[in-house]
Amino acid sequence: MSWNFDKPLRSLCDTATNEADKALWEKEDLGGITEDNNRLPMPVVLLVVLTVVTAFSVTFPLWGQRPTAALYEGYVKAMSTPEVMAIQDDKVAMQKIVQMNLGGENDAGLERHPLSMDDLRIIKPQIEALMSKGVDLGEYTVVGDRVVMANFEGNKKADGTPERKQPWWDKGYLIDIFYLSYFFLGVTILIKRLPPSTWQPRHKH
Amino acid sequence: MLKYLLAKNEDIPEGSAAVFFGFSAIIWFVIGTGLGSFNAAKLAFPDFVTGNIYFAFGHMRQVHVLAVIFGWISMAFAMAMMYITPALGNTKLWSEKLGLWNCLFWNLGLTLGLTILWAGITSGREYSDFPWPIDLYLAAFVFIPLGVNVWMTILNRRTQGIYTTNWFFAAATFMVIIVFLVGNLPEFFHLTGLTEAYLTWWFAHNVLGLWITPVAAAIAYYTIPKVTGNPLYSHRIGHLHFWSVVVFYSTPAAHHLMSAPLPEWLKSFASVEGVLILVPAIAFVSNIMLTMQGKWHMFVENIEIRFTITGCLMAIPLNMQGGFQQTRAINWYIHGTGWIVAHAHLALLGFSTFLEAAAVYLGLQTILKRKLYSLTLANMHFWLLLIGFTTYWISMTIAGLIQGAGKIYEVPYIDVVIAEHPYMIARWLGGTMVFTGNVLWLYNMWMTARKGSVVPAGRMPHELAYER
Repeated sequence: MSWNFDKPLRSLCDTATNEADKALWEKEDLGGITEDNNRLPMPVVLLVVLTVVTAFSVTFPLWGQRPTAALYEGYVKAMSTPEVMAIQDDKVAMQKIVQMNLGGENDAGLERHPLSMDDLRIIKPQIEALMSKGVDLGEYTVVGDRVVMANFEGNKKADGTPERKQPWWDKGYLIDIFYLSYFFLGVTILIKRLPPSTWQPRHKH
Repeated sequence: MLKYLLAKNEDIPEGSAAVFFGFSAIIWFVIGTGLGSFNAAKLAFPDFVTGNIYFAFGHMRQVHVLAVIFGWISMAFAMAMMYITPALGNTKLWSEKLGLWNCLFWNLGLTLGLTILWAGITSGREYSDFPWPIDLYLAAFVFIPLGVNVWMTILNRRTQGIYTTNWFFAAATFMVIIVFLVGNLPEFFHLTGLTEAYLTWWFAHNVLGLWITPVAAAIAYYTIPKVTGNPLYSHRIGHLHFWSVVVFYSTPAAHHLMSAPLPEWLKSFASVEGVLILVPAIAFVSNIMLTMQGKWHMFVENIEIRFTITGCLMAIPLNMQGGFQQTRAINWYIHGTGWIVAHAHLALLGFSTFLEAAAVYLGLQTILKRKLYSLTLANMHFWLLLIGFTTYWISMTIAGLIQGAGKIYEVPYIDVVIAEHPYMIARWLGGTMVFTGNVLWLYNMWMTARKGSVVPAGRMPHELAYER
């Protein structure tokens, strides 16, 4: 296997190998089937690039995560206010709690993860217990009726323990970048070992 | 066909194994879709056949699923491999005898496995529902012999190069053995909990991604150039397709478990890879469509091309759905709803079935050297399959969106059931059309074998005019 790096984007094979490949390509009958040597059309290249960009964009950590306990801290505190406690009807009380927490940075998250008064009653003591410990509520997620430590990892705190928040650079995304890079590098080398796309076989059969 | 089981390999006519596999595949398709139609009737009409546990939905659902996957789809693949692999290497199948025994053991094992499943003995793991002895049987007597026959045929080829289709066949037969043995580890070693959940979906995802998707595409790489006479548009795009299937389709299993307590980084990784299944899809569809240049009239005139191109076109919505429905933002809404059932049928009954049906039509006519008995019946089969499938897919997609809304907004379950009812009836109607089409197909191919016009040596069946 001989390599030629003079024009790597044109071909990675030397002339002799390319000529031998071309001769074989034109001579060989694969059950009556022939193949052309067309390059990837530009729209296809653009679609592949768009797919890669989209893959990272639509899966970015912001989207679709479970709610954190921190998201409901305001709700839990609002439950104990006199104006909420005075309301007998659960639905009206919940509306009041939502209204009291509007206008903050959590509006979108709270809209995506609505709760009923019954849900709140279940998670309230768990969140209050965490608050009394003084832990960071952002490191806990609400899974159904339980408030549990999130299973994120990546960053470390000053004391060396893992921070249970998804870092923006997420380990999974980082692995993906390497994985993708190896893939495209490998396939590019493979394709550039073929005769240049400016050459097309003349099919005799 | 059975008389050749004990004959010497050289005394067995070429293509015998392919014919055996081809008819077995169609019969399993009739059985599988018949069961599907029956199951759909139970969902549409809850009082239909009650009082017998063996006809309960829970007993019958997985029998339908596995009859279609390992009966129809996989046996149609085996049929295609038995005649396409040697044709592309200008050689004979390595062992017709092994192919015939392989088909016999396949039919016996599947019948046994589905009977056990129907009786209620199951691993309880979706898509790998067979108990572990059946899994081992399938690996030892179904997939390994198939792989050996394919690999040995390729090794004994009379060409220097290997055509794209045979890359896929060789790799997929290897990968499906690995998928079977690794994916069923929880049953062999009684692994439980999250490990079991992950490996269950690793198996389910990869049976689709490393077996059904690549082999179905490989068939199109043969059918389109062979029937149109055009060269495959690009050998290079074939490389991109092949390697992107291997690299991107093998990794996103965790995206089936986005709400499970798997490590979040693994879900992020799997989710990106999940979108990247669009890369092989783009490569495949563009290569096939560009190969059709100048021959688009055959999409109307030729039954094999019509089936193949319809299947290829279905790869577009299939991969758009598959790529995006697994992202966190969409998955929370449609997870566990009929949307997924619709998507699974788009993959198996849409994309893959249309490509395999073309291979079986083409293969049986070519090997038997008989022109298709009735084009009218073939056209009816195509339209019943297409309209039936589309009815099913659209109705289940709508039902899934209703279920998703019901789930998110906590609508009482019975209200969701009532809202879905018309779509369950539509689903049953669509599925029954598919079943009816398959009965016609079986009759048509049986009559082709018995009474089809003889195709002269050196001619392709589609070069002859239809007589009926």
